[in-house]
Amino acid sequence: MMDKVYIIGKDSIPERISLSDSQEFRACFVALAGADAGMSLEIDIDGRDCLVDIAGVCLCTGEQKASVNVTVRHNCPGSRSYQQFLSIASGESRAYFDGLVYVAPGAGGTKAEQQSRSLLLDSRAFVEARPQLEIYADDVECSHGCTSGYLDEDELFYLRSRGIPEQQAKKFQMIAFLSPVLGRLDEELKQTIYDSLP
Amino acid sequence: MNDIINDIAGKEYQGGFVTEVAQDYVPKGLNEDIIRLISSKKQEPEWLLSFRLDAFRKWQKMTPPNWAHLKLPEIDYQDIIYYAAPIRDEDRPSEIDPALMETFDKLGIPLHEREALAGVKGKANVAVDAVFDSVSVKTTFSKTLSEKGIIFCSFAEAAREYPELVRKHLASVVPVGDNFFAALNSAVFSDGTFCYIPKGVKCPMELSSYFRINASGTGQFERTLIVADEDSQLSYMEGCTAPMRDSHQLHAAVVEIVVEKGADVKYSTVQNWYPGDAQGRGGILNLVTKRGLCKGEGSHLSWTQVETGSAITWKYPSTILKGDYSSSEFYSVAMTNNYQQADTGTKMIHLGRGTRSRIVSKGISAGHSENSYRGLVNMAPGATGARNYSQCDSLLIGSQCGAHTFPLIRNRCSSAVVEHEATTSKISEDQLFYCTQRGISEEDAVGLIVGGYAKEVLSRLPMEFAVEARKLLSVSLEGSIG
Repeated sequence: MMDKVYIIGKDSIPERISLSDSQEFRACFVALAGADAGMSLEIDIDGRDCLVDIAGVCLCTGEQKASVNVTVRHNCPGSRSYQQFLSIASGESRAYFDGLVYVAPGAGGTKAEQQSRSLLLDSRAFVEARPQLEIYADDVECSHGCTSGYLDEDELFYLRSRGIPEQQAKKFQMIAFLSPVLGRLDEELKQTIYDSLP
Repeated sequence: MNDIINDIAGKEYQGGFVTEVAQDYVPKGLNEDIIRLISSKKQEPEWLLSFRLDAFRKWQKMTPPNWAHLKLPEIDYQDIIYYAAPIRDEDRPSEIDPALMETFDKLGIPLHEREALAGVKGKANVAVDAVFDSVSVKTTFSKTLSEKGIIFCSFAEAAREYPELVRKHLASVVPVGDNFFAALNSAVFSDGTFCYIPKGVKCPMELSSYFRINASGTGQFERTLIVADEDSQLSYMEGCTAPMRDSHQLHAAVVEIVVEKGADVKYSTVQNWYPGDAQGRGGILNLVTKRGLCKGEGSHLSWTQVETGSAITWKYPSTILKGDYSSSEFYSVAMTNNYQQADTGTKMIHLGRGTRSRIVSKGISAGHSENSYRGLVNMAPGATGARNYSQCDSLLIGSQCGAHTFPLIRNRCSSAVVEHEATTSKISEDQLFYCTQRGISEEDAVGLIVGGYAKEVLSRLPMEFAVEARKLLSVSLEGSIG
């Protein structure tokens, strides 16, 4: 099944989703450069063997503000959830990520993963991340990872030493950074993202 | 490990006894007169009294923080005795009461300099400032240390003897109005430790404070101020215990550390306040503010904490990395059992160029307890090339407890790198099976696995503390299996 893709600020995004036994929810959220974008999503897993697999890309430029707020509640045992959100902030933009994974008492056998990564391209950009885990059951495997950094100098040097101009090389690095999520989008949208990279 | 567990099997909270000693109290309640009374009892200079009164006026306008993941019982601040001190024998005013000596002996705190010097206890030399309720009863090795220019004394003494130093640094790291509990502490702080290491001096022994709550109905509000001048070096330890009581007792401390250029400070805590009984009655409310300022270039501050006690812990030892290329570490093991609640973590505020920080937090929750990690990593625009790495793991023992991770990452610097990772899981069945199948009982096996899990932090503790911390972890784990 192909991911459902939502453009933040353009498509209407559900605010609450509830999953019952064996249901799956796969989606990608994309915030394109240019306009302020905000989304808030709550997912309740109310059945067994459910799967939540969501991902997102945020491109923030200029004075734009993008915020992503995701809550995943594991209310029943034996389900899985995966989240991956990537953002690139340039100019004076601000990127916010607030994610919560909640595992209710008795929701044993839960597996949850949450990742948020960001790149800062300019010295006036700002990134804030709040990846949170709230866990009330012991038989679980939950993890989150969060990074914030810049384009690696060594990678850039490698590309440039092979004759790729700096701007192009940086673009490659950004595409590589976004690639885990880009792979889930259609060609047309991918091209739009490539074109809008700073 | 087995020996340790056998050693403490059957023993409950070891520091839970009460010392019968005549005490001097101020009346219950909190108002400006009480503050004036505390200040006069401590023969404080005028400026310190106005510092307290200013803090009190600020505090009256503040509200207690409610963002922590804690169920904090209502605290009646008028129902607390803010000062309690053992009365000194008038015939022998310079000597310490034998009952107090015995108390600290029983707790394993060496107050006999001669014995320690002769190595009777087979321990390394440790200078101790022993605080009993609201006063410091004894500071050991002050003389030996003063030969090197090191000042190590009770806070009250420092305020009288070294007013300029104290005045310069007091509240320079934790401002009076920083938070509700810091303001309360600034208004009513009783005793604590003052420590100054001069330029280029490497402190020849470990310094430590030991805090003991004894009187009932009181709160303890100690204040510690550590100043490490340029290129100095210090390792500091802090320990604490309190009697077992059915009612909560408040402990609101402030620790401030100033680290100048090139200085290196290591601050270790083994927090073992009375945690309350198995039904969650009583225990200490541990609401403390600890903060260090890496002021100069290349300064370094390391926090190591083992939190096993207290009914409620609200504590975030933090570092402001102001000096260029300064660095800080935070290593923590927080263990909660029964109905304990802990909300603890750290803040790393990167301001200077090339600053580095590392956070390793290990939470263990058992019984019906709640254990949260809360942290902030902030990269200011000027923190070029700064780096942070955080790792927060939680271990759940039993299905009734909670383990939470609430990190906050703020990055305003395009050449800084922040990395955070966290995991939550229970003790692996495979590891447990491996141990039990070799004849190790389940309880011992859990102790073994938890010991290994916390090893990265425990290995950072000074020798004496590491042994005690391991014992404490296994005591706290007792009865959490099955």
